[in-house]
Amino acid sequence: MNMKSSANSISEELQAFSDLARDFAARELVQQREENDRYPFGELFTQSIKNAGVVGFFGANLPAEYGGVGMVASALAPVLENLSMADASMACIVFTNAAAIEIINQAARETDCAKIYRFIGGPDAKPVAFHSFTCLEEIDMPRADAKGIISGRLNFIALAEFARYAVIPAENPDGAISYYLVDLNDGGVAKTGPVYSLGLHACPAADLSFNKVPGTLIGNPGHGEIYFKAMQSHLSIGAAAISLGIMKGSFIEAFEYTKERFQGGRQIINWSEVRMLLANMAIEAQVGESCLASACRGNESGDNGWEYSARAAAIHIGELACRATVDGVQLLGGNGYMKDYGQEKRMRDAKQVQCLLGMAPVRKIDYIGRIIDESE
Amino acid sequence: MSRIRLSRKDKKMFLARDPKIADTMSSLVSHYQLPKATAMYKEIDHVVALARKFNDEVVKPAYKEIDLEVSKNNDYLCWDFIKKANEWGLYTLFLPKMFGGGGINMIAMYPFVEEIASVCVGLSNVIGVHYLGVATLSASWNVRLINKIFREVKKGERSGNPCLISLAITEPEAGTDVEETLLVDRARLGTFAKKVEGGYVVNGRKIFISNGHVSTWHMLICYSDKKNPSENTVMLAVKNGTRGFSFGHHEKKMGQKSCVASELIFEDCFIPDEYICIDSDDVPKNASKTRVEVIQQVIDYVVSSTRAGVAAFAVGAARGAYETALEYARTKKVGGSLLINHQWAQSMLSEMYKNVSMGRAGYMESAYANALHGMIKSLYKPYLFYVNRWLPRWYFTMISPLLGLKAVTRLFRNINFYWYPKESAQVSSGWASLVKFACTDLGIENSQMAVELMGIDGCRHDIGSEKFLRDAKLLQIYEGTNQLNRMNLFKELVGRDMPEVQIF
Ligand SMILES: Cc1cc2nc3c(=O)[nH]c(=O)nc-3n(C[C@H](O)[C@H](O)[C@H](O)COP(=O)(O)OP(=O)(O)OC[C@H]3O[C@@H](n4cnc5c(N)ncnc54)[C@H](O)[C@@H]3O)c2cc1C
Repeated sequence: MNMKSSANSISEELQAFSDLARDFAARELVQQREENDRYPFGELFTQSIKNAGVVGFFGANLPAEYGGVGMVASALAPVLENLSMADASMACIVFTNAAAIEIINQAARETDCAKIYRFIGGPDAKPVAFHSFTCLEEIDMPRADAKGIISGRLNFIALAEFARYAVIPAENPDGAISYYLVDLNDGGVAKTGPVYSLGLHACPAADLSFNKVPGTLIGNPGHGEIYFKAMQSHLSIGAAAISLGIMKGSFIEAFEYTKERFQGGRQIINWSEVRMLLANMAIEAQVGESCLASACRGNESGDNGWEYSARAAAIHIGELACRATVDGVQLLGGNGYMKDYGQEKRMRDAKQVQCLLGMAPVRKIDYIGRIIDESE
Repeated sequence: MSRIRLSRKDKKMFLARDPKIADTMSSLVSHYQLPKATAMYKEIDHVVALARKFNDEVVKPAYKEIDLEVSKNNDYLCWDFIKKANEWGLYTLFLPKMFGGGGINMIAMYPFVEEIASVCVGLSNVIGVHYLGVATLSASWNVRLINKIFREVKKGERSGNPCLISLAITEPEAGTDVEETLLVDRARLGTFAKKVEGGYVVNGRKIFISNGHVSTWHMLICYSDKKNPSENTVMLAVKNGTRGFSFGHHEKKMGQKSCVASELIFEDCFIPDEYICIDSDDVPKNASKTRVEVIQQVIDYVVSSTRAGVAAFAVGAARGAYETALEYARTKKVGGSLLINHQWAQSMLSEMYKNVSMGRAGYMESAYANALHGMIKSLYKPYLFYVNRWLPRWYFTMISPLLGLKAVTRLFRNINFYWYPKESAQVSSGWASLVKFACTDLGIENSQMAVELMGIDGCRHDIGSEKFLRDAKLLQIYEGTNQLNRMNLFKELVGRDMPEVQIF
């Protein structure tokens, strides 16, 4: 199996970006994985986050005129996949920021968003906070008045702990949803401490409450749902890539371990029951890779209906990763359950990553809903 | 009865075919073989109610906090909880009355641990794993030591200083191998007991020992001969404070954080003869079973009862995940309507309910198989059952010195080792493995479904569903990995009587 990222199957050009992510992961993430996973959240890997900005991970889908790379979503996939093989937290930071930017990119197709880009761009730009783990259907929305003054609560906003800006949805007086850019330093914003969650501890989220906080409208009023759905399609590729990276990381660690570990007088890889578990993992990773590569190709060339493969890839690979990482722990026996190895974290991360872009069953119902709508 | 006539011979012939009633319906068989059902039921409903009260008053107010505390400080030990459980009598509840215990029948233990696990699997283990130690000591049928140590547990209850028992078998290089006599001779063992004048000297290391740091007694399984460990397995009772015995590090675990997993270190640790639970010298040369068969019998006795316990933990996890998701679905709105009113969500919740119910039916079947065939079967002989139930405690205290007689141990060993039919072990051990892997897989399935149904809220520690997933994963690993348990089921029930079958 190709244990390099799926970038190879997309295009040669992306190889450099993909390699960059792999080097970055090896240099910045692997050694500190356990430390970054700790509770309570200590000094987060601030330097690593800065470095990720320097190498351009936060500008991948930011238009070039605002200091970004201006790539399509598929270009981000190898970065996210490679980062996730080492530690999916950094990948989710990059993902969350890209999701927030994608909302703005979608709005920029309809209105001039230069002002908004200028807020978030620039050389010292920090990643932008976003509700990357929820979809609009499940959010208890804050309200925004006609002037864009926001009040209410929003739970689990990723990166809100250290981001300066957040892209958030709010319900307008007419019931429609719009997106706003808010300054998290505003006196009306209150944050809980980081929410302690199943996985991705180094990509913390916070619950926010807004008390008359001024928001800058992004795009057209009432178009929030349109922007979100479009973003969801693009970033589905990213979510699929993160799940795939975790799954591959889990396979690699299990594969290496089972060659080293002896039980019953032989390397455990030589027990066929162990091989069967490894085979399932390898096949799932391979299938995941093909799904993702096809979604990336579609996205790159703008094929009709590429959104379907992107969304299906996110849902399917998300499920595969949850299953495979449970076996990934199992193959290491008791050691797999311990923090000294990477497997238990991958199992937790995979499950939380499955929530990216919203509840998986809701995304499934939405998926078939689109097909039904189109057929009518 | 139907009008078709079945001759006795026909009936026997048909019933001899697989699946046999005795293999697959222990709960049915128990109707006529076990003591009066109401007496047993009364004990079960008592402990279920007791567990629910304990959950309300002790577990629910503390479990999330303990989980966080260990996340902050991995060396934290939940002594307050252990003291409470001790105060409530939970560490003696299921010990036979003749050894000073509460005398509740062991079948009742399974629904009891399910109840606790439905709130916190880790804390359920803090209680349940003590009974793993209890089962190990009991399986040696060293009645003198059983009586001594169980009475110390009772004394600890009275004095408020908990006296728990752990089991130490796993080693850094040998996990699966030490659970199975067919594998242990090929294992890379590291903990050996050398026979010396008056006892054994132990050197080596045991790892992953649940409740290690908080237990007073440790049932240590080690080997007196490197070349032939299966024939030279030794079980020793090691007490805290024994020279040469110390605790190492606490493992950093994904879940079940309240239940410490400890390293135990033995450096020239001398264990006197009086603390030998069983060793190869206890198996007479002319016995009807070989040493290996006796050791396998001891292991089977232990795991048949404890694997059903792990299945009950897992059903608790599956149920806790289900109940958390159900409560959530009743108030959460998705797409404008309550989650519980989406048909797909109702279907998922039914699936989870089914998993819990099927799992419970499974582990109860295994519990009945143990009552009919397992280590505790003698306690279910009606006369012993009622003696244990009705005779006053002082009577057992009075006869306690008799239990120290060698003849008593010999008698129990004859009954439980040498007169014990092989087929009995196949049913109890096979079923214990079956429910162990089936229920623990369901535990994972339900915990995962709960997170799917609840989305990111399901991943929040403060809401409580994610912990079931972390806790449940361990259940697929310990008490023999699920892979080993599939092999054991194959050995005991699927591939038995097939001469061409080879295992391992
Ligand atoms: C938190 C925790 C608490 C524990 N508590 C206790 C305790 O209280 N007392 C105690 O003694 N032990 C305890 N254990 C140890 C536990 O029983 C072992 O972890 C378990 O038996 C597996 O052994 P291992 O970890 O060495 O894995 P290994 O045996 O190394 O297994 C690794 C993988 O190889 C597979 N494998 C190994 N051999 C074979 C084979 N022959 N055929 C097919 N597949 C095979 C396994 O299924 C597994 O997937 C605990 C473990 C943990 C994690």
